[in-house]
Amino acid sequence: MTSPFPDAAGPVARADGHAGEDLLAGYATGTVDPVVVWSVEAHLTGCARCRSALSAHVDAQRLARNRSVLLVHAALGDGGRVRRLLRRCGVPDHLLRLLAATPSLRRSWLLSVLAVLAVVTGAAAAVRYGWIPAGGPAGLAGYPDPEVLAPFLLVAPLLVLAGVAAAFLPMFDPAHRLAVAAPFSGFTLLLVRTVSALAAALVPVAGAAFVLPGPGWLPVALLLPSLALCALALAAATVMEPRAAAVTAGTSWALPALLLAATHVPLLIVQRNAQFACAVVLCASAVVLLARHDRFELGWMR
Amino acid sequence: MDEMTLNVRTAAVRVDGLSRRYGATRALDEVDLKLERGITGLLGPNGAGKTTLLSILATVSEPDAGRVSVFGLDPREAAERVEIRRRLGYLPQELGYHRHFTVAGFLDYVAILKEITDRRRRAEEVARVLAAIGLDRHARKRIRALSGGMRQRLGIAQALLGRPDLLILDEPTAGLDPEQRLRFRELLSDLPGDPVIVLSTHQADDIAAICPQVVVLLPGRVHFAGTPAELAATAAGRVWAAGERDTRAHLSWRGGDNRWRHIGDDPPAGAELVAPTVEDGYLLLSHAAGVR
Amino acid sequence: MRPGAEERDDAALLRGVARGDEEALAALYDRHAGWLTVRMTRRCAMPDVVDHAIQDTFLALWREAGAYRGGGDVAAFIWGIGVRRLIDAIRRESGARRRLPWRAAEPPVVVSAEEQVLVGIEHGRLGQALAQLSPELRGAIEATVLDGLTCAEAAVLLGVAEGTVKSRCHRARLALRAALADQQAGPETPAHRREVWGTS
Repeated sequence: MTSPFPDAAGPVARADGHAGEDLLAGYATGTVDPVVVWSVEAHLTGCARCRSALSAHVDAQRLARNRSVLLVHAALGDGGRVRRLLRRCGVPDHLLRLLAATPSLRRSWLLSVLAVLAVVTGAAAAVRYGWIPAGGPAGLAGYPDPEVLAPFLLVAPLLVLAGVAAAFLPMFDPAHRLAVAAPFSGFTLLLVRTVSALAAALVPVAGAAFVLPGPGWLPVALLLPSLALCALALAAATVMEPRAAAVTAGTSWALPALLLAATHVPLLIVQRNAQFACAVVLCASAVVLLARHDRFELGWMR
Repeated sequence: MDEMTLNVRTAAVRVDGLSRRYGATRALDEVDLKLERGITGLLGPNGAGKTTLLSILATVSEPDAGRVSVFGLDPREAAERVEIRRRLGYLPQELGYHRHFTVAGFLDYVAILKEITDRRRRAEEVARVLAAIGLDRHARKRIRALSGGMRQRLGIAQALLGRPDLLILDEPTAGLDPEQRLRFRELLSDLPGDPVIVLSTHQADDIAAICPQVVVLLPGRVHFAGTPAELAATAAGRVWAAGERDTRAHLSWRGGDNRWRHIGDDPPAGAELVAPTVEDGYLLLSHAAGVR
Repeated sequence: MRPGAEERDDAALLRGVARGDEEALAALYDRHAGWLTVRMTRRCAMPDVVDHAIQDTFLALWREAGAYRGGGDVAAFIWGIGVRRLIDAIRRESGARRRLPWRAAEPPVVVSAEEQVLVGIEHGRLGQALAQLSPELRGAIEATVLDGLTCAEAAVLLGVAEGTVKSRCHRARLALRAALADQQAGPETPAHRREVWGTS
């Protein structure tokens, strides 16, 4: 490498063509002539030795601090495609990170949900398409075998409820006491988790409903009951112990579903009257929830 | 503002007549306590109510009766409770972790719970506590791959996030080896801002080494509050050594030097009295309270 | 010292970073953060902003190390990323709302003819001419030529409007050309000098 400082002598450059200590020190503290700065910088671009010599003139503590912050950022990572997309849509980053602690958003949970749905859907399809002989009389007008849908109708909203329950039950949050002892609003945390668990659970459920050999309005018809069940569970959690609340809500769906299935009219549970009842339950639960939301701030340590 | 200046003179944390029962058991029975800035050790056997007391101070549990005042704030008021939580760092006993989390990810999560919403500030805080606790080389490790001692240090680290004014540590030294205990002591004495620190333990030598103030809690009640030296002094003249076991002593055990050490109210005439330790004072109190 | 050895190590480190090797990132930081901090500080006096820019630069490397195609100095590649992160950081600091597109991946910086000239300028004629420029004009040239920024980016860095940057560059180039022509022609008269440099 030809010397960049051909006519120089003294502290400006050394005979070997590298920048001397004084020059580097002066560059680091900004006391060097601007024009000299340019040639130093151009030299540094190609010379690793002078680069590392320059490092000695930077505050070591500052370098160490930036290094550790950098490594933390790198360790935390970006969060994957879904999170990046959501962030671009304007969702605050810290809310997205909170979701990482929600069990019902994890791959393992979603896979189990899919597995259950696959079983139930598969069973219905098997009966419908005659792979397994069916029993019972023909049902609703225009639709031959409503009974094949009974297991799905029982299970689908319960799966959504289970996802939401996993998001708010303390038993699913190993660091629950930390969340209680922290200033972050317990109610906000709850809402963030349950809304995302809800969305994550409704997608496979709706998908299965599409695939199912049933009436076309089935996916939509499941929406209101699922929402009502989850709202009921949350509202009940403000009055009773959370596990009891989840069980109560689950039972309030399971019992009618089983009853109607036993009397051979399972689809009634998603028809007009039932939808109306679900809407009422949803509104009432929402009111109770909003009125008593401070109950979530203390935590359920009794 | 007036209330704040007043509290500089009164105790930082006050507990009056605190009571709590679980079913038939009285976990806490009319407990009065004052905590100042600096480290206070809570010494007592398992089941003495230490965890209950600490979880009430951390606003995680509610007492049945009694009043708590933290920096002049009352945790029964919702807004003041949130304010207490803003100044709080809490390590619960047997803290569970989301096992799939990385070390940095878990600390980031807790930092968000402590309302540090800015991403960069969070990374700086996480980097700071990781360096303080010595886990910076393990930032990317998953929690399920950590040893028990490292997990315990992680628990201490999360309590330090946000530079709390009140640090509540429930059995922080459990699972730490002697070298880690030493580092823990240094860490506590180096904390910025001189917070109120209260830690619980059932090991008397932790108290002797770390805490300038100690409170002895025996089933539900406070039996001593003062310095470790004072606690040791309560056993003055009641600890003696002998070559043989003396059945008149309340407690006796064979020490490392193969001699028997005795604690009792009536040392025999001419017995070789030894200087009491903090543990001796504690054992004497336990015996007096009927705890074995 | 073999000039190529350090170079290859840097490229190898970059490949490691692209693979997700955190040790490689730390090694790259240890090697380059020092000079990068100094060079950024010469352009932005706010240490907090420089700290953020340093962190962002290496984070960008962490995410986009695969974009380095192996042509040219790794240090130049890093500076290309770094100076743009610095501009982003300055932008955020000054509250400007319009964001630069995320250009973590820059084409490899080839040492331009200009830069080759710059390397020896200090004691040459061009150096003398540059030394006589006013600080504002020199800053504009430095940002656009030495750092390779667009006028929009240089505007953020210098804290002026884009039009101002353009006009300063133009005046600087005119002045330099005139000064070089003068030097070739011979020692200039004081009056002629005033006419050339005028006011800044």
